Amino acid sequence: MIPDDAAERLMDSAQFIGKSCEKLGIQQWEVFASQGYGHSLDIEAGKISMASGGGEGGFGIRVVEDGRYGFAHLVDTNSADRAIQEAIDIARKSPSIKGFELPGNQNATKVGGMKDKSILDMGPEDLLEQGDQVLTRVSELDSRAVAVGGGIGIGAGAGAILTSSGIEDSGIYTSHGIGIHVSIDEDEHLTSSYEGESSRSKLKDLTASVDKAVHWSQVTRNKIDGGETEDCPILMTSDGFSPLFSVVVPSAIKGDRLARGESFWSGKMGQTVMANHLSLVDDGLMEGGMSSGSRDGEGVPSRTQTLVENGRLSGQLWSSRDAAKLVSEGKVDSAQSTGSASRGGHTSPPVCGCSDLILSSSAKTLTRDRLIEEMDRGYIVHSVMGAHTANPTSGDFSVTTSTILRVEGGEVIGALSQAGLSGNMAKALNGRVTLGDSLKRKGSYSTGSMHVPDVLLMDGLRINPA
Amino acid sequence: MVMVVATRQSGDHFSNGRMLDEDKITKALNNATALGAEYAEIRLVSETTNTASLKDGKLERAIPGQEVGVTMRILADGAWGVHSTSDIASIIHQVEPTFRLAKAVAARRSPSQTAVGLAEVPIIEDELHWKSLKDVRDTDLDKRIELMLAIDNEAKDDDRIVSTSTGWSDEHIHTELMTTEGMNRVWSFQRSLINGMVTARDGGDVVSYRMRHGGEGGLELIEACDLGEMGRNARTSVLRLLGAERAPSGRMPLVADRDLTGVYIHEALGHPCEADLVAAGDSCLEGRLGQLIGSEICTVVDDPTMRGGYGCYPIDDEGVDTRPKNLIVNGVLTEYLNHRETAHRYDLEPNGGARAQDGLHHPLVRMSNTVIQGGSHRDLDELIEDIDFGIYACGSRGGQVDTGRGSFQFAAQEAWIIENGSLARPVKDVSVSGMTLQILKDVDGLTRDAHLAAPGFCGKGQTVPVGDGGPLMRIREALVG
Repeated sequence: MIPDDAAERLMDSAQFIGKSCEKLGIQQWEVFASQGYGHSLDIEAGKISMASGGGEGGFGIRVVEDGRYGFAHLVDTNSADRAIQEAIDIARKSPSIKGFELPGNQNATKVGGMKDKSILDMGPEDLLEQGDQVLTRVSELDSRAVAVGGGIGIGAGAGAILTSSGIEDSGIYTSHGIGIHVSIDEDEHLTSSYEGESSRSKLKDLTASVDKAVHWSQVTRNKIDGGETEDCPILMTSDGFSPLFSVVVPSAIKGDRLARGESFWSGKMGQTVMANHLSLVDDGLMEGGMSSGSRDGEGVPSRTQTLVENGRLSGQLWSSRDAAKLVSEGKVDSAQSTGSASRGGHTSPPVCGCSDLILSSSAKTLTRDRLIEEMDRGYIVHSVMGAHTANPTSGDFSVTTSTILRVEGGEVIGALSQAGLSGNMAKALNGRVTLGDSLKRKGSYSTGSMHVPDVLLMDGLRINPA
Repeated sequence: MVMVVATRQSGDHFSNGRMLDEDKITKALNNATALGAEYAEIRLVSETTNTASLKDGKLERAIPGQEVGVTMRILADGAWGVHSTSDIASIIHQVEPTFRLAKAVAARRSPSQTAVGLAEVPIIEDELHWKSLKDVRDTDLDKRIELMLAIDNEAKDDDRIVSTSTGWSDEHIHTELMTTEGMNRVWSFQRSLINGMVTARDGGDVVSYRMRHGGEGGLELIEACDLGEMGRNARTSVLRLLGAERAPSGRMPLVADRDLTGVYIHEALGHPCEADLVAAGDSCLEGRLGQLIGSEICTVVDDPTMRGGYGCYPIDDEGVDTRPKNLIVNGVLTEYLNHRETAHRYDLEPNGGARAQDGLHHPLVRMSNTVIQGGSHRDLDELIEDIDFGIYACGSRGGQVDTGRGSFQFAAQEAWIIENGSLARPVKDVSVSGMTLQILKDVDGLTRDAHLAAPGFCGKGQTVPVGDGGPLMRIREALVG
C-alpha cells in the first residue's frame, strides 16, 4: 500500500526544501511533510456501493525571523521557492514575539504500535471480504436490520519533520477503521444506531461494531411515553459521552485559553474542578495511540501529562509559540512547550491540542449493569445529536438524543423516541460522578483522541422528553 | 515527488489554464472504455487559498496555499471504482486497478440489488468562469488585516471582553472534468469569508459569540459589508449573554431569525431531500414526492445559481449545469436533490446536485443555497403579537439531522423569552429539536422578506460550503432546551 522507502523519500524532499531555505539565509525554518495512502469501501443500503483508493500529501514550511513567523504549504517541491518566499513575506508582517524560537532538538522516546505490517499487506480484495463479513453479520443478527451506511478503510502514511535546529525525524503509521450505521424499519417505526472503531493495528473483530449497532437498534424499539422535563441522573455510555467531551474539555485545558480567560477553568489552577476521584491525563506516548507519537507536530518530544489530578487542575497544554506569546504579553509569568503541538496535516501550522486524553477515577469503577443499579432512576444516553453545538467557552450544551433508555428501580423499562439533554459539562464533572470499568478509546476528533468510559452523572443535567 | 502537468495556459487572468494533459487523459479514458467500463471520468480541482487570523487584533497566522487533487471514477458492471491522488501525473496509470475495483464491487451485488446507472445529460465542451469584480487573489495581506481589524476594533470595546478572534478565508476554485462521454468542461469561481468570535467574562460567567459574512465572489463581497457594525453587534450580543438566564425547557412557540430559519430548513428538510440518502433507505422523505408534507405557506428552493451565496457553483461536479430546485412548493414535496446516479434510479432529471469537497473526493448529493421563501407577515412584531409565552431565537451555532428517523436539532447563539406578544428578556443555550414531518406542518408564520443568512459549512463525510436562509419564521410548537 505504501512504498517501502516512503519515509526516506519524504525526508529527501524535506531536505531539498530545507536547502532552499538555507540558500535564502532564513534564520530558522521547519519543513513538515506527509504522504498518505489508503483503500476504503462504502456501504449503502445493505451493499458495498463503492471501492476507492488513492494517496495525497505535501509539505508545510514554517520560517521564523526575529520572533516573527510565517507559514505556507505546497504539494510540488518545484514550487518550494515560491512557498518559502510567501512564508517570509508573511513573517515580516507578523508581530515579533519576544523569546519565540523554533524548538531545539531533544531526545525523544520511541512510541510503539504505530505501524502494523499486516495492514500494509492488505489490499482492496481483503477489504471487500471484510465488507462481506460485516454485511453478513448484520443480517445474521437480525433479519430486519439493514446497514444503511458506513464503510471500512485502511490507511498508511509517512511523516517527516526537518528543522534548522537539528530535528530530523520520520516514520510510518497505519490505521484500520470501521463505521456502520444500522437501522431497523418495521411497522412504520425506525430505530437506528451508528457505531465505529479505529486502530493503528489491524482490527481483530470488525463484527463488534456491528453487534453493538444492531443491539442499540433493537433495544430502542420498546418505546414508552416520555415524561416531564426533569433534572435527573444520566448514565452516558462512552459512545454518547465522548463527542460532547471532545468538544468541551480539550479546549478548556489549553494554556492560552486558560491564560486569556477563555476557559471555564481559567483562574482555577490548583483548585478543585472535577469530582475529587477524577483525573485527566493527556498521554502523547500511548502505545498505538491514534494521536500519539514520539514527537509532537513541531518536533518536541511527546510526554504524558497530568492535567487534573484527584479533581484538582494541575496542568495545561502549550505549544512553543503560544507559550512564548502569552509570556511576552504578560498573561503568564512563565510557560514552555509541553509537547502539545498538533497538526491537521501539511496544510496547517502546528497549533496547541491534546493527544490521547484519558478520563479516569481512583474510586471504584463499576460495570454498566452496576451503574444502572446505582443510578436507580434516570436515563441511559448512548448517542447525541448536535454535540458540535456545545459551547466550549462556557461548557454549556443542549443536544438531542434518539438513543435513550428510561431506568426505574435500577432496571431499563423502555426507550423514549427523542429527548433533549442539556447541562454544563464543567458542573456535571464537578458533581457526583461514577465511572464505568471499561476504558476504551471512543473516537478521534479534531481535538484529539478521547479515552472515556461510561459515565454516571448524578447532578446538573436535564432531560426534556419529546 | 509530486508533479503538476500543465499543458495550456490561458491568457485570461481569471482562468488557471488547463492543468490536465488532454491528450493523455483522453487516452486513459479510452483505455477504460476498451477495458469494458460503462463510464469513466477524471476531475481535477486546483484551489488557491488564503487564510488569516487575528487574535486580540494582532496577526496570529496567515496561510497561503495551492492544493491540487484529481479523482477518477470508473463505472463497470453497474458499480463504482474510484481513485484519488494529489499526484496528477500518476492518475493515468490507475485506470486498470480502478476498473478492477469496480468489477470486484459489482461481483458482490446480489440479483435483488440495484446496479448503478447514470441518467443522460447534455455533453458539453466549454469553459465557464464566474469572474469576481475584485479577484480575491489580488488582495494582499495588509488589506485582509485592515478588514479584520474593522471588526476587531468595534468588537473589543468593553472591559468585560476578554478576547477577540477574527478570521479570513478566500479561495479560487478551478475545476476540469473530462469523461468517456466526451464531456470536457473547465470552470472556476471564488469564495470569500470573514468571521469573528468575541469572548466576555464577568466573574465566573464566561460566554462567547460568533459572527460570519461571506459568499461566492471576491474582495467586493467583504468590502460591501459594514464590518464595524458586525463587530458592534457581536459585542452587544455577547454582553447581553453574560447576564442571560438559562432557557426554559419544554414545548412552546418558536420564532427563528434568518440564520436559524436557514439552519432549520437545511437540516430538517434539505438533508432528507438528498436522493442518495433516499436511495440508501436513510430518508424520512422516501416515497413522498408529490405529497403534502408541510404547511401550505412553505416553499423551499435550493439554488446553486443564487450568485453571492456561499453555496454557489456554476457547474456541478459531474459537469451538469446548475439550476434552482423547488424542494417544496406550498407544502408539497416536489423535487429531490439529485446526481446522475440517483436521477437514473428514480427516473428523474439530473438537477446539478453533485458536489465533492475537493479534487480528492468523489461527488455526493449536496445542498447549495437553501432558502425558504417569504410569507405574508409584515415583521417580527406581527409574528409574535399573539404569542403568550415562547422563544425568539437568533444566530446559529449549528445543527444536525438523523435523516432516517427524520429528527433534527439546531442551536441558537442567543434568544429572548416572548411574553404577552413582546420580547421580555434574553436567555441563553437554546436548542430546538423536532421531527421533520411534524414541524414542517407547524410553520404558521413567515415574514415577507426572504434572503440568505450567514454562510455555513455542511458535513456529510465531506465538508462543503453552503448558504441558507429565509424570512423570520414562526413554528406553532417546538421542543426547546
